Amino acid sequence: MRVEYINPFVEAAFNILKEVVDSDIKRGELYLKSTSQPVLGVAAIVGLAGDVEGRVLFDMSEVTALAIAGQMNGEELSSFDDLAKATITELANMITAQAVTKLHELGFTFDLTPPAIFTGENMEITDAGVEALIVPIELSQGRMEINVAVRER
Amino acid sequence: MSSELIGLNDIDLLADTDEESKDKADVIDYKMVTFSLGGKDYGIDIMKVKEISKASKFTYVPNSIPFVKGVYNLRGDIISVIDLRLMFNLPVPENKTAVENMIILRLEDNTIGVIVDTIDKVVGINSEKIQPPHPLFGDINIKFIKGIVENKEKLYIILDVESIFDQKSAENAIQQKSYSREAMPLAEQAAEKKPESEGGVDYSFIVETLAAFSHFTVSPVNDGWVRNRFNSWSKQRTENGLNAQLQSAAEAGEFLNSFGSPYSGHFWEEDYSTAVSEIIPDVDGGTYSAWDIGCGKGEEAYSTAVCLKKKFSSKKIKLYANDSDLLNISTAPNLIFSRNSIPAMYDDWVTEGSNGWHFISDIKDLILFEYHDVTHDNQLAPVDLIVARDFLSYLSVNDQQKLIEIFYDKLKPGGILIAGSNEVVVGSGWEALNKGRVPAYKKI
Repeated sequence: MRVEYINPFVEAAFNILKEVVDSDIKRGELYLKSTSQPVLGVAAIVGLAGDVEGRVLFDMSEVTALAIAGQMNGEELSSFDDLAKATITELANMITAQAVTKLHELGFTFDLTPPAIFTGENMEITDAGVEALIVPIELSQGRMEINVAVRER
Repeated sequence: MSSELIGLNDIDLLADTDEESKDKADVIDYKMVTFSLGGKDYGIDIMKVKEISKASKFTYVPNSIPFVKGVYNLRGDIISVIDLRLMFNLPVPENKTAVENMIILRLEDNTIGVIVDTIDKVVGINSEKIQPPHPLFGDINIKFIKGIVENKEKLYIILDVESIFDQKSAENAIQQKSYSREAMPLAEQAAEKKPESEGGVDYSFIVETLAAFSHFTVSPVNDGWVRNRFNSWSKQRTENGLNAQLQSAAEAGEFLNSFGSPYSGHFWEEDYSTAVSEIIPDVDGGTYSAWDIGCGKGEEAYSTAVCLKKKFSSKKIKLYANDSDLLNISTAPNLIFSRNSIPAMYDDWVTEGSNGWHFISDIKDLILFEYHDVTHDNQLAPVDLIVARDFLSYLSVNDQQKLIEIFYDKLKPGGILIAGSNEVVVGSGWEALNKGRVPAYKKI
């Protein structure tokens, strides 16, 4: 993955999560992965097109997703309902949008697709021929992995 | 007519067969649609061609590979459209009208459109005149070529479209090719060359400690150097009254300190840059692409870029530089250095900024730095040059073998691989070009 793309995604994730979810957040070591990757339970996906093509995946367990959605709404949520889904979708949107804005300032033009959310057990995702950058983030609500797979067109 | 029949019949019949075989060469039993790509003539079996058409306004499909032009609505059927020129890395002529010549192929399991430069005509030939492709055949991978045929003083390369677009058979072809080329895998070679005489136990201990302390894998790639080094090392250590075995990472580093190639982690001096430049052959075409693996903080990538820029001043140069160390590669695009750390030969290409000296954008724009682990897949198009100095030795034996295969696949025919000064690329299909300190290998 092109070096210039890495920081905007990491910074955007850090800034937004710190602002809207949890002020005490920690970033894990970044690494690369190319094989099929298991998805924890809830995955929000945002597609990218333009100078690059690819997608950003926000991956967390359902418990974590529920806690994050609850925190963002300021109320306790008991089931992963439409409100919770819409909240996670919005979070994915905010982070990706900020990253893309930062990249735009550096001169790279991207377009976003509306986020889609997947839930279920035992899911995995495979991107043929693209390796993914994994940004693990530790929140007090649990662990979230931001999985960025983009390549030059 | 079978020989058995001739045996049973009389002489008259035998005379007939002679004439028949003469006629045979003129019997037309194979028709192909001919077209040109990058100035050369190609043919496709007419039985595979549904129709030809002119088309424009393909619908772009996000996330597709670069040579997929998009999809096209052919009277209600949606077909995928592939640009053959991009697929085979041939030059794409400028097309002002945006209307492309398209051949619609009917394959076993799908219908597909391919874009070519110009479509010529239908040529009928005798299938016996088709000759097998020569292994040295230039632009298009040999596994995609069915054969070559002459007609009216023109040579046509017949493409095997089923194998080009059939994913399964393409994968099989790659596998078969690698089996035949690599008669004996590296792992077996390594196992066979178990150290025996020269202080057997000590040597295998060194091999193990190098792996543990420095992630350095002794294999046929560097075996020769390690043996020599071990001999001088144990002699020197014995003279100083020390144990020849490596006790710490520092000692392993000391053992390996003469392994590195010249100017590893520094900018290349003029002598080395010239030596590299001399070993690289001239190529046709307006572009030159290179791949630098393990570029670290970027010194090697910038040195390579300047070397190529000097050699091919009029060509468009593209250098892909990868490293799997995030910290190192992050600093590479905006590498800052002090004035005296850079040799005088780079004077024309550097400038002073507010933080220190850096390369001018003419050079920076040639290089694309990527955070990438080369043992993973990538979509890099074939390149003319691969620079992987002191890189293979730090991978496992299996990864070394895999990487040499990847290098072979990613190089254009006649492309050059530059390895570390003390590394040997094993495997057939490579021609060693040893010129002094730059061990280079040419893909044949």
